[in-house]
Amino acid sequence: MEAKTSLKQFLRLLYMSAKMDLAWLLRDSKYALICMVVDIADNIAAISTVLLIAGRIGSIGSMGFDEALFMMSYSSLLNSLYIMLGAGNNIIISRVIGRGQLDHMLIQPLPLITQLATSGFAPFSGFGNFIVGIALMSASIHRIGMSITSLWLLSLLIYLIASLAIIASMSYLSAIMAFYAPVAAEEISSTAIDDAWPLSAFPLSGMPAIIQVALLTVFPYGLISWFPSMCLLGKPPLGLSSYYPVAVAFVLSNAAGYMFKKAMNYYTMKGSNRYVPHGFRR
Amino acid sequence: MSHTDFAVSVEGASKIFIQRQRSKNLLSSLLRPEKKEIKALDNVSFSIAKGEFAAYAGPNGAGKSTTMKILAGMLQPTQGSVSILGMNPAKDRIAIMRKLGILLANRTELWWDHPISQSFEWKKAVWDIPSNIYKQNLEMASELLGIGSLLGAFARELSLGQRMRADLAMMLLHSPEVILLDEPTIGLDIVAKRQMIDFLKLINKEKAATIFVTSHDMDDLEEMAQRVLMLSDGKIAYDGSFEGLRAITGSPTRLTVAMEAGFSLCLDGAELVSVENNVYVFGLDAEKLPINSLMQQLSNAHGVKDVEIRKAPIEQVIAGLYAEWE
Repeated sequence: MEAKTSLKQFLRLLYMSAKMDLAWLLRDSKYALICMVVDIADNIAAISTVLLIAGRIGSIGSMGFDEALFMMSYSSLLNSLYIMLGAGNNIIISRVIGRGQLDHMLIQPLPLITQLATSGFAPFSGFGNFIVGIALMSASIHRIGMSITSLWLLSLLIYLIASLAIIASMSYLSAIMAFYAPVAAEEISSTAIDDAWPLSAFPLSGMPAIIQVALLTVFPYGLISWFPSMCLLGKPPLGLSSYYPVAVAFVLSNAAGYMFKKAMNYYTMKGSNRYVPHGFRR
Repeated sequence: MSHTDFAVSVEGASKIFIQRQRSKNLLSSLLRPEKKEIKALDNVSFSIAKGEFAAYAGPNGAGKSTTMKILAGMLQPTQGSVSILGMNPAKDRIAIMRKLGILLANRTELWWDHPISQSFEWKKAVWDIPSNIYKQNLEMASELLGIGSLLGAFARELSLGQRMRADLAMMLLHSPEVILLDEPTIGLDIVAKRQMIDFLKLINKEKAATIFVTSHDMDDLEEMAQRVLMLSDGKIAYDGSFEGLRAITGSPTRLTVAMEAGFSLCLDGAELVSVENNVYVFGLDAEKLPINSLMQQLSNAHGVKDVEIRKAPIEQVIAGLYAEWE
């Protein structure tokens, strides 16, 4: 049985990660500035295609421009949280497994889950995108004329956590392959997440139902931004419950945890026949 | 003594790996791959007392690193049991890691893009090291390993020797009771090696830390450890003192004779190893060729300028053993 981590220790580890993130970002002022500008430009570029089309024709699918803007702001906010919590390859976990670097984690006197939850905390690196996300969301809410209540803010937080859990679960589930084929599957997590990110931020309203269903079940990319945004706008698609993303996040994260544990047993029995010192930790 | 009285205890440990063989026929390789069983460890048993400094040696592929990984909880044995300070690495990983220090060859625990001091602070937070212990260990490591001036440098900017010293210092910050070192002196120059060996001996003596170290450099191991475990083909081939190891292979001795120009030398019962600038080096077994017989041969020889007799380096002893095992 792995020992539990106290809240105090958990917070201390988060603080240490945040401190190191700031030190890393500020090691060179020019680098820090360029890093933030490029991150923001990248984020804006990722959402601009849909927004430009929606702006040109007034809507995309059956989503109006303001709704599309809201969904993009949700996607930006999610992206910033993804950067803030997953900077140390703790979400793109196939890299750590495929490079044989899990050994470094096994010699720390901490439960693996604590290491994975705290080691990628980088609040400063992802802050630029967070600001962009907040600004876009404020603008879209203002344009839609939505009234914001504390319950709605709580729902936003829960949906963001659920979306993040779905992303991490998909990454961890695909990363299982890296235990068995470390070289071939080293980048499988980033393929599952980064390469699919544009799809997750695509407005699925107006698409054939079969595509919507597929992207809400087998390939749950529709649950990352589109479905939660529609729920927050008070229009859950396909007549599904607004709790659906939370339920899927719960099921997927449990499945990922179970599978990962099984694969870890395989790792400690078979070991890793590969070790790559390059890229360790960052 | 029960296994809880030992710092390290291994009982009947075996480790089998399955290695996939690539065949010339691609299709059969894909559909029915050939697999070969590799026995990295074969029923290995040994124990190391608390405070002991033991060496673990053997040729490449003998199973040294596999043993280290099993002891560190990174791998589980196929058979047998392992305990560190009476705890099972597979079940009590976290408790063991608080008391264990590990340094594996060619790996670093330092943060690549951060100053060394930052890595040390990270370690303090992760291991939850009390401030007074941290300060005390940092001061000691800085002084004895000479890393004080390196604390502000980034890990990626250090030379191998500097990085190894910083890694060693970091490993010791939590005052580990048991230390596992896999090839700690590999690639180090003579000064860095000297510094590391002296430091390890001091930690063993003054802090009573149990140290279990692997290396290919037998001379280093002999200088550090009181006991050596020799591994061959996954089995313990020898467990005892270095003197005992020499006794197994007789008493290999090196004789160096400097000759005057124009003279040559040939000795019965001794094997000529090299000749350079009229300096003859012979290898001989002092048990088979007694010293008085040797001196007699030398006194009868003409043109002898200087003579030196020494025990053969442990490297030579081991090379002979490895050759026998093959």
